[in-house]
Amino acid sequence: MYKWFALKRILRGVVMFTLLMFVFSALFNTVSEKTQRAGIREEVAMKVNRLKDLKPEQIEKYRADETERLIKMYRLDRPVIERIVVRALNTVTFRFGNSTIMKSSGGSRMVIDIIGEALPRTILLFTSAIAIELLIGVYLGFKKAQKPGSALDRTTSIVTMVVYGLPSWWLGMMLMMTFVYAIKIFPSGGILSVPPPDNGFLRLLDVLWHMALPMITLLLIGFWGLAYIVRNIVLGILQEDYIMSARARGVPENKVLFGHTLRSAAPPLVTMGLLSLLASISGAILFEGIFSWPGLGNLYWVAVQQNDIPVLLGDLAITTGIYLGGLVFLDLIYGFLDPRIKVGGKA
Amino acid sequence: MNLKDFLAGLSDFWSEFRRDKAGLIGLAILVVAILAIIFEPVIVPFKEVNSKWRDINYWEDNSSGAPPAWTNAFSSEKKAVTTSLDRPRKEEIEGDGVSIRRYEFDYSYRYDQPPLDVIFRAEGWGTFPILVSVERPDGQVIDLYQYVAEGLDGDDLRVTLANDSKSAAYQFLAVNASEADMANYDSYSVKPMVIMFSEASPSMATAPVALTGKYKFIVQTMVMSEDVRIDNAHFTVVGSVSGILGSDTGKRDLFSGLLAGLKWALLIGFVTSFISVLLGVLYGIISAYFGGAIDSTMNFIYELFVSMPVLPILIVISAVFKPSIWFIIAALVVFSWTGPVKTVRSMAMQIKEETYIEAARALGAGKWRIIFKHMLPLLIPYSFASMALSVPGAILYEASVSLLGLGDATITTWGQILHDALSSGAVLNGLWWWVVPPGFSIAIMGMSFAFIGSAMDKILHPKLRTR
Repeated sequence: MYKWFALKRILRGVVMFTLLMFVFSALFNTVSEKTQRAGIREEVAMKVNRLKDLKPEQIEKYRADETERLIKMYRLDRPVIERIVVRALNTVTFRFGNSTIMKSSGGSRMVIDIIGEALPRTILLFTSAIAIELLIGVYLGFKKAQKPGSALDRTTSIVTMVVYGLPSWWLGMMLMMTFVYAIKIFPSGGILSVPPPDNGFLRLLDVLWHMALPMITLLLIGFWGLAYIVRNIVLGILQEDYIMSARARGVPENKVLFGHTLRSAAPPLVTMGLLSLLASISGAILFEGIFSWPGLGNLYWVAVQQNDIPVLLGDLAITTGIYLGGLVFLDLIYGFLDPRIKVGGKA
Repeated sequence: MNLKDFLAGLSDFWSEFRRDKAGLIGLAILVVAILAIIFEPVIVPFKEVNSKWRDINYWEDNSSGAPPAWTNAFSSEKKAVTTSLDRPRKEEIEGDGVSIRRYEFDYSYRYDQPPLDVIFRAEGWGTFPILVSVERPDGQVIDLYQYVAEGLDGDDLRVTLANDSKSAAYQFLAVNASEADMANYDSYSVKPMVIMFSEASPSMATAPVALTGKYKFIVQTMVMSEDVRIDNAHFTVVGSVSGILGSDTGKRDLFSGLLAGLKWALLIGFVTSFISVLLGVLYGIISAYFGGAIDSTMNFIYELFVSMPVLPILIVISAVFKPSIWFIIAALVVFSWTGPVKTVRSMAMQIKEETYIEAARALGAGKWRIIFKHMLPLLIPYSFASMALSVPGAILYEASVSLLGLGDATITTWGQILHDALSSGAVLNGLWWWVVPPGFSIAIMGMSFAFIGSAMDKILHPKLRTR
């Protein structure tokens, strides 16, 4: 039953996420408590400043009481284990608390607001890049597998290896140097011009214009590895007997390729393809910073520069969540495409 | 597996590997890189780059943000190249009680654009007067600067002629240039370097023509007592182009930095991939061999690690703990051992069912003996390919962490050079010689390991080979 398989897989993802949040919570316990204590000191100092007409002893007493109250509230007086568990549970339910310095464009200091603002932009950039990469990669992979050893296959394989260790952020820097500062075609960064155009359609064009160079960078190195993986999977299938028999029966080559082969290649293709894309994207988060694309990746840059630990940890939780979500989604597709998987129910 | 078998296997492998052109290219790049590391002390222009990369004083005499010297070949106006003059002719003229010590440095000038500065530097002991002068190709001698160094004890003597010889240059200009031109000049606005390296003519103030040929920089000092000593006297001609790869805005020589980063890149790559692949292969074999509850538990742990996005976690860990390079390598191992596990596990599952394993077991071989003696050797070729292919990832991760400025500050890596470039606006200002080489090196290293790894892969999986 597909629905039980799906439910099981999703639950497993949730458990995994919770578990990871516990690990992170324990790992970063000291530093997050340090920032919490600093936050408490700041809050108390602000409240004390607002007090008027009080004797020094009263102020001192107020300061001590208030500090104690906040420490109780944040449970900093409880045992370590409890603190770690509570923080992990807060993370799982997306209660990240307040940032230390950073603010969202609406002026909110809630970490969730800051991240919520960045998330859609990352999704916009990367889903469009993935979609195009998938199309080109799969097509190129099939073409390569069709005539292994041909000029096309060999040159593209070499390009794959040439870009294997190429940092996408460095390519971004190069393209920026060329097409933003030397030849002024593209904007220097951000998602909208300042001031943004007020017409809705012009606004869309503006976003597309800002998106162009990051997209080009991602595409230039994105699909090669995918095409190589597709080629190897498809090549294995093309050597099966039923493909030979289909060819012998006179089935048109394109039908053999995209009908017979694609169907049996689909499950491993989806896994390997999406997995490699997922990995490349988790590696490409730095890349947003180069283009000042205000997404989750750029948030890491800003949070590191301003040493804003709550934002950093929140960003990490969300990135991990998305990554895990991607893995679960992948298994769901796999189960859908490969009927053998869901029978056993063991992903 | 004894030595003879191993060597035979190796020569078989080599005869197959030799046929893969890309693999050979990768190997050649790797060999060149290793040679460069071995001969680093000989090739590197700035010998103390490893310990002084972040020491501003060490770089103070270099040119700032200068393009590479070879860019002269592409420009119509040749710019002076940064050079060090450190082989003076020493002469001692004895007088009664005092002697005059004279150092002569030859400099052949054949450019259109004069240097930005000429700096004299030495270590001195005692009290002595010092006179710096230059003898030009046209025979004229200009006394550029004189002063008395007092009570030195191994201190640095530093004379920067671009600033210190302004009045001398003004006087020289006043003698030669036309009066009308001189009206616009005073001893502050004068440019000593332009004057020193231009033909003496009435129009030299407004339209200087470069005077090429042999210049002699002369440093004279009077030695009045026994304890006067001058060591390590040298001139630096600070040009507007510099070195093989230019310099950054912190005046650091980028070629030296690149060489210093090479060994770290290879070290990070090798150590990380070696340990993590070894761990991953063992993990896969053990998981497959024992099966049952152990297999499921190990599978779960594996999945937990696979579910973590490596780079974000690495960034946060580095931001929080400010780690050393060894900590970064350890963290990389912790997150990248998962690479070969899945493949190894399925391969080990097959090997486990082979009859010779059964035979070994029937003979009473222990499980660890079977794992290490009979299963691991079969997976070694795969491990090597896997190691080669995981080197670029490790280099890339370290570079990414360093790019954010979170790297180990006691060493020099390519990522850190790129971080400095990015934060100093090298991209914005088009200082390409600062941005291109480090990233290019990362890409080249990645490429060579990809070539080697895929050549190995092809030997191991003949099915992938082109027909």
